[in-house]
Amino acid sequence: MTIPIEYYVLLSMGLFCIGLFGILTRRNALMFLMSVELMMNAAVINLIAFAFYHGNLTGQVFALFAMALAAAEVAVGLGIILVLYRNFRDVDVTVPTTMRW
Amino acid sequence: MEGAFDYAPAIALFPLVAFVVALAFGKYMPKKGAIAGIAATGGSLLLSLWMLAAVASGETYHETLYTWAVGDAASQTGVSGIEFTFGILIDPLAALMLVIVSLVAFLVHVFSLGYMNAEGETGLPRYYAGLGLFTFSMLAFVYADNLLMAFMFFELVGLCSFLLIGFWFRTKSAPSAAKKAFLVTRFGDYFFLLGVVAIGATFGTLQFAGDGSFVAAAETAIADGETLFGFGAETWVTITGLLVLGGVVGKSAQFPLHTWLPDAMEGPTTVSALIHAATMVAAGVYLVARMFGYYAQSPTALAIIAFVGGFTALLAATMGVVKDDIKQVLAYSTISQYGYMMLGLGVGGYVAGVFHLMNHAFFKALLFLGAGAVIVLMHHEQDMWKMGGLKEKAPITYYTFLAGALALAGIIPFSGFWSKDEILYDAMIVGLEEPLIMAAYAMGLVAVFFTGFYTFRMVFLTFHGEPRSEAAEDPHPVGWSIKAPLIVLGVLALVAGAANLAPVAKLVGVDIVFLEHWLDGEFGAVEGLTYSAYGDLLAYETGVVGSEQLTVLIAAGLSLLLAFSGAGLAWKLYNVPEPVEHKENLGSAGKVVEDNYYQDEYQVWLAEGLTLPLARAADRFDQTVIDGVVNGVSTASLFGSSWMKRLQTGIVTNYAALLVTGFIVLLLVLGVLGGWFI
Repeated sequence: MTIPIEYYVLLSMGLFCIGLFGILTRRNALMFLMSVELMMNAAVINLIAFAFYHGNLTGQVFALFAMALAAAEVAVGLGIILVLYRNFRDVDVTVPTTMRW
Repeated sequence: MEGAFDYAPAIALFPLVAFVVALAFGKYMPKKGAIAGIAATGGSLLLSLWMLAAVASGETYHETLYTWAVGDAASQTGVSGIEFTFGILIDPLAALMLVIVSLVAFLVHVFSLGYMNAEGETGLPRYYAGLGLFTFSMLAFVYADNLLMAFMFFELVGLCSFLLIGFWFRTKSAPSAAKKAFLVTRFGDYFFLLGVVAIGATFGTLQFAGDGSFVAAAETAIADGETLFGFGAETWVTITGLLVLGGVVGKSAQFPLHTWLPDAMEGPTTVSALIHAATMVAAGVYLVARMFGYYAQSPTALAIIAFVGGFTALLAATMGVVKDDIKQVLAYSTISQYGYMMLGLGVGGYVAGVFHLMNHAFFKALLFLGAGAVIVLMHHEQDMWKMGGLKEKAPITYYTFLAGALALAGIIPFSGFWSKDEILYDAMIVGLEEPLIMAAYAMGLVAVFFTGFYTFRMVFLTFHGEPRSEAAEDPHPVGWSIKAPLIVLGVLALVAGAANLAPVAKLVGVDIVFLEHWLDGEFGAVEGLTYSAYGDLLAYETGVVGSEQLTVLIAAGLSLLLAFSGAGLAWKLYNVPEPVEHKENLGSAGKVVEDNYYQDEYQVWLAEGLTLPLARAADRFDQTVIDGVVNGVSTASLFGSSWMKRLQTGIVTNYAALLVTGFIVLLLVLGVLGGWFI
């Protein structure tokens, strides 16, 4: 018995919205990073679901690439957060506004 | 004569090398660069004579040496591609001019040894470098085979005159005179440049000679009755010809652009000799002779040339009458004599014009160098009222100067008589059929009287009578380097007329018109560039009084009579031991003449009263409207962006919110337009 594609899409949409909500409301940089990860994984679920639906492997391969990319992104993101903390003694993203102009 | 022409480029390159040598090493050389200049112009002279001999043996040379740009021309007549080239054209005219220019340049260099070196001038390397560059530009101009090359060297000649007129740049007047010469001639050259562009755009070629020349193209266009740029072919030839004539009027100091020339006397006298006899001023008339085939197709342009020439001849001659400075008198005589050449060319007297160009080069160089010798004798005094009595003290200067003066005044048998008479004869026979030319001829004829008068006024005041100053009583001696060029030129002023004894030939029927045969290509010529070829193009009717012999006699008799009466009047008034000024007898007319007919004043008014306010208005428009628009745009964008930048808060959450909002709005817009909600 196969699960219809709609459920996958709904799951992915829900996950994405949770991530988006996190980005829009949280101020902690770590929470930010997690929310971004959630949004990314929502996209990856979509890729796999549609790959399964269409019966070819391209989407799954891309999902693997996206995961590797996410790992790199987390490393960079954590690095930025560390620097942020060193400079501002805080991980609140609303604090460092001096870099705008 | 095989291979003679392979050395043709060297004629111009020698003086260029001398220029570089004098500029770079002049300081360390024994005569401060004079030796290099004399060697170079001497070499040029020898090569030019060789060219002359080669042409005489029936060869001519027309080669393109270097093509520096080839383009697709949207020309009005058939030719597909226009080529910009450097080339050399040596035909009888060019060969003759090369000899004249290099000879005068050589003699001026020699004379400079006595005039500049011996007088302890400073800045001599600069002087000799200037002379070298000047000679180079003129020689290259003379054998240029296309109009663009001619234009480039024409400009270079103008630049050199600027450098040399302003040689004594520490005085106040010399730099000003140099600027004036540069600007006034540049004003004419501006029209010349327009003419070059117009001819190039019309005919797709700028060559002087051959089947691909613009002269031949114009001939075809007129014959086919083509329409060029909305004009009939002949009208268009007239327009472009007159544009080129603008440069000629500026360089050859014709009315109304003659005002720079008297001021140019601020330069060293040797430079004046070079400018007036062989280079700068001659360049204008030479250009008309060079493209005479083009002008010959336009009777209107020719009539204008003739009329401007006749008018200038008279105007300048009257101004020369009242000048006190020996060089000023000569300056006005130059303007006047070039007026005669223009008159001669304008009435179709190609041979007469070129003949006078040659004779004038010799006797005017002689007179200027003679004046230079007088200035040395007089310890740098130029006012003729402070001279007098130099006849016994400097016989060589006197007799050579007298030869030049007799030639200038047109007294038989000196060279000036033959050429001036031929010009006036040509003007007269055309004038019998065309009233306008008759007026030009009449002006030229009256000018003969004034020429005789001012020439001998100058001679008598300078050399005759009693010495009127200490310097005149005890003149400074002059050396061989001053005397030798004077003697050479003095002999030439006497005998050069023998080249074309047209009146005698017509009267006795002996074939002694050597120059006419020379220019008619009986020895060697480039096809289409001969006197008879030009004659076929000319549309002038000629008339005679009675018979041809009688007409010749009347023309020669009239001009001789007037020259003698002018000289005689000067004899009566000034050949006395203590001459006095007679200006007051002229009354108010004398004042007008003395102020040069207010030519300078009205030109200054044109510049300051008319052009300056116009320029100011344009400047104001530029400053307010144009700059206002530019500044307004920048102010508006600065102001707008200072508002826009507040969007950038530096808070990442805001950016994310904006992104999401933007995405949703885009989605909604797409949805509404795509009809999702219906």
